[in-house]
Amino acid sequence: MNTENKITAQSNPFLPEPARIVRTYPLTDDVHFFQVRIADMEKALSFRYEIGQFAMISVLGAGEAPFSISSTPSRPGLLEFCIRRAGAVTSKLFQLKENDFVGIRGPYGNGFPVEKMQGKDILIVMGGLGAAPLRSVLLYCLDNRDLFGRIILLHGAKRPAEMLFRDELLDIKKRDDLEGYLTVDGDDTGQWTENVGVVTTLFPKLENINPENTVGVVCGPPVMYKFVLQEFLKLDIPKDQILMTLERRMKCGVGKCGHCAIDYIYTCLEGPVFSYWDVTHMRELI
Amino acid sequence: MKIVKLKKDNLFPFLEAIKGDAELWAPVKKDDAKHTFQPVDDFSQIDLDYTRTILPPRKILLPAKFNMYQASKSEFTSDFSHISKKIIFGIHPCDIHAFLTMDKFYSYEIEDPYWLEARKNLVLLGHSCWPDENCMCKSTNTHVVEEGYDLFFTDLEDTYVVWIGSSRGDDLIREKPELFEEDLTDTDIQKFIQRRENRDKAFTTEINFAAMPDLMELKYNDALWEKLGDACLACGSCTNVCPTCNCYNVEDRPVLGKDFSNIQRCWDACTLENYSGVAGGENFREKRADRLKLWYTHKLQSYISKYGKPACVGCGRCVATCPVDINVKTVAQSLDGNEVDSFWDRLSKEVTK
Amino acid sequence: MSKNNDKKLKIGIYELTGCAGDGLLILDCEMELVDIFQAADIQSFLMAKSDNIDGELDIALVEGSVSTEREIEELKDIRKRAQVVVAFGLCATHGGIQARFSEEEWQKNLKEVYGDIEMSHTKAVHSKPIDEYIDVDLYLPGCPVSKDQFLNFLVRALGGSPPEVYPNPVCVTCKYNENDCLLLKGIPCLGPLTADGCGAICPNHNVPCYGCWGPAEGANFTSEFYLLQEKGFDMEAIKKRMANYSGTKLQEFFEKFKKESQ
Ligand SMILES: Cc1cc2nc3c(=O)[nH]c(=O)nc-3n(C[C@H](O)[C@H](O)[C@H](O)COP(=O)(O)OP(=O)(O)OC[C@H]3O[C@@H](n4cnc5c(N)ncnc54)[C@H](O)[C@@H]3O)c2cc1C
Ligand code: SF4
Ligand code: SF4
Ligand code: SF4
Ligand code: SF4
Ligand code: FES
Repeated sequence: MNTENKITAQSNPFLPEPARIVRTYPLTDDVHFFQVRIADMEKALSFRYEIGQFAMISVLGAGEAPFSISSTPSRPGLLEFCIRRAGAVTSKLFQLKENDFVGIRGPYGNGFPVEKMQGKDILIVMGGLGAAPLRSVLLYCLDNRDLFGRIILLHGAKRPAEMLFRDELLDIKKRDDLEGYLTVDGDDTGQWTENVGVVTTLFPKLENINPENTVGVVCGPPVMYKFVLQEFLKLDIPKDQILMTLERRMKCGVGKCGHCAIDYIYTCLEGPVFSYWDVTHMRELI
Repeated sequence: MKIVKLKKDNLFPFLEAIKGDAELWAPVKKDDAKHTFQPVDDFSQIDLDYTRTILPPRKILLPAKFNMYQASKSEFTSDFSHISKKIIFGIHPCDIHAFLTMDKFYSYEIEDPYWLEARKNLVLLGHSCWPDENCMCKSTNTHVVEEGYDLFFTDLEDTYVVWIGSSRGDDLIREKPELFEEDLTDTDIQKFIQRRENRDKAFTTEINFAAMPDLMELKYNDALWEKLGDACLACGSCTNVCPTCNCYNVEDRPVLGKDFSNIQRCWDACTLENYSGVAGGENFREKRADRLKLWYTHKLQSYISKYGKPACVGCGRCVATCPVDINVKTVAQSLDGNEVDSFWDRLSKEVTK
Repeated sequence: MSKNNDKKLKIGIYELTGCAGDGLLILDCEMELVDIFQAADIQSFLMAKSDNIDGELDIALVEGSVSTEREIEELKDIRKRAQVVVAFGLCATHGGIQARFSEEEWQKNLKEVYGDIEMSHTKAVHSKPIDEYIDVDLYLPGCPVSKDQFLNFLVRALGGSPPEVYPNPVCVTCKYNENDCLLLKGIPCLGPLTADGCGAICPNHNVPCYGCWGPAEGANFTSEFYLLQEKGFDMEAIKKRMANYSGTKLQEFFEKFKKESQ
């Protein structure tokens, strides 16, 4: 047998693309904002993604981890991420400066069902780091304002200093084609002019919700889901119009490493966006 | 299908003729009675009188640890150096079926070049086998192979009946056509049929795999899982020896004195403690029972909806491996409503005594 | 891990009560030694050099258990000076063999061996792992630690990242090596209970694992205990075997176990 070994694989889905950090600054003490551009211009522009998808970011010497894309596909070229310092990869990432290199792979995951959401009222509820994927949804809806009905945003944080994208959202809130409510669990600044209380205390403020025509979207810390889902159900939003994104351990993003399995579903392929109806089928979640 | 005959004396000359510079892997007897697949140069080491190897042959394609790529500051370079031309000789039907299942898995949605390229460079020479009490491949319908091999050797005492399963298999025969006989006699055919019938009768373990998806669903909250969880040592062995397990971790390993890292892919097992841990110390499957549920969902249920058959190919390795008797045999029998004699069952009685 | 990327990492290697096997292992990395000393600024390493400085450190590797009052002071001083403290080797992570006794047993033994003599130099205390006295950032168990584990720690640390650790039991590597399982043959192997990292050296040579890397995370002592009992080993034999390297953790288990089975 001839053993000459030529690997013909043209593309290796596991191989990251070199990318540069264009801009980075702190959003809060332990959450930083990263704007990243794939170094190869052509590839940067052909990196097409949907809202709710994620990318794998790798940092030399530390490893690779999944992060939601926070920017909107309606503004191509630059990718934005909102990243909390958690461990090896993220700590090293925090030490990097503008112009430094990272690796990017993706986009991965199913993303939000944009077609199903069109024409509907969109009720976005986010808390904490849930702002990372849902900012993409919000900006996308605003960039394509005609495609959607009402856009309602409920955003919660522990304290004003911990509210991600606070200034950007306070600004957006001024638009009259959006109903925005911001809240903090407690105000330690004395200068907070918005609501005080957990995010569910914002629900009574919502008026004339037409549940059949509403898509509810939620992402936040685990404790938040339970309560927000209850509120959605109280509003009579159909189970398959309640959407959420879930977190699992992920090592590959492409359905091979097995880590993200929930029952027989791979979160990286069939998720991370699930409807409440999907979730009631998944035994491991209940 | 083309079928030829090979005298046993002609086996080694044939292997010699086709080997070239390829690595030839075959079952070799380790100490005592256990076998492992090893690369062999000296064919006399080959021992075909085996039921199952300790690790399945997937280790030949995806070793326990290998480099996926090199990463430097601004460059990433694929590393396929673990892939070379290989021949596996002596692989049994269940393991061939496992390769076919993994082919589907590794091509699903996104293609995994590390598996698929290694597969392209692999020649599979199957060999007939005889079941022991732990073989369940008749129940999983993986005891015979119709496809997936290049050549398949059935042992008829002094000769082999060789099925040619691919055009590459045909090419291999043509390297030394003089070693083969084209025509099978009536006696050969009779012997072949008799052997198959005898072998079918030799299976002593029967598992109702068709019922498993429903039973997994119905008994998802059964006390059985707690019993299994109490006994499981979380040693990962069942997972490591299963031919249709695929999980892995990725490690960034900087090279001392250099400015690049090797990005390594290494086996992981969902039965191990920290498999589902995520940032913040949260672990989605801290309980052993939950991890076993995931494993058995994969083996008995989930592949059926995706690939049309269960992930389990009935090789019996988990049966031969788990120190506390948690395996497809005892779990399936128990799900099916049977009392099973096993350490985990005895332990549950001991602990609640 | 380290704040300054451009400057060499300042590392100190310290020895409390133990056999010094872990430090020796560093010196045994012959192929890599030159690179190590080039890449890092080894400030203190009694076994390897004489010009040792006790200053500020990025990383302190501490080997050995705490067995005297003076060692407690020394350890606290190291903690003050180092950004990252690594418990290096089983004695530092779990207490080692010298910690296998309960406090009372230890008192009794001390008296038996030394009588009522007042120690002039430094007073002995019951041997304990270093995290009984200070916060520890990272644990590298092993008796001794393995080359691969140490080098992996070092190369990652040089780049400012912690190592990736997989707290698996010995059985994982043992299976990779395709050993015929000893436990299945009725030989009391502690592989399922023991942290991996040694490369399954003992079962590779048909010798049962006796647990020298300390307990694996989430080890199921109860199940293995009953399993060994079923295979004909009595409580005391099992306890002896299990207790050698598991330090204080296993003692708690047996205390609980005794109460439950009474
Ligand atoms: C689809 C998806 C989208 C995500 N989007 C975002 C996002 O937009 N922004 C964001 O900040 N994060 C996001 N995350 C989470 C992010 O991926 C993790 O925070 C990240 O992987 C942490 O990597 P690290 O290397 O920094 O931390 P690691 O070093 O991996 O771990 C951090 C901590 O987790 C614990 N840990 C690590 N490994 C294990 C283990 N095996 N077992 C138990 N505990 C362990 C450790 O205690 C450690 O302190 C997302 C995750 C997913 C799956
Ligand atoms: S589950 Fe057990 S019997 Fe089935 S393929 Fe895996 S190891 Fe073999
Ligand atoms: S089921 Fe058995 S082989 Fe598998 S992890 Fe548990 S004890 Fe180990
Ligand atoms: S020999 Fe010991 S270490 Fe190896 S698999 Fe068996 S129990 Fe585990
Ligand atoms: S006793 Fe166990 S942990 Fe220690 S070297 Fe032997 S196998 Fe490894
Ligand atoms: S992240 Fe690897 S399978 Fe989903």
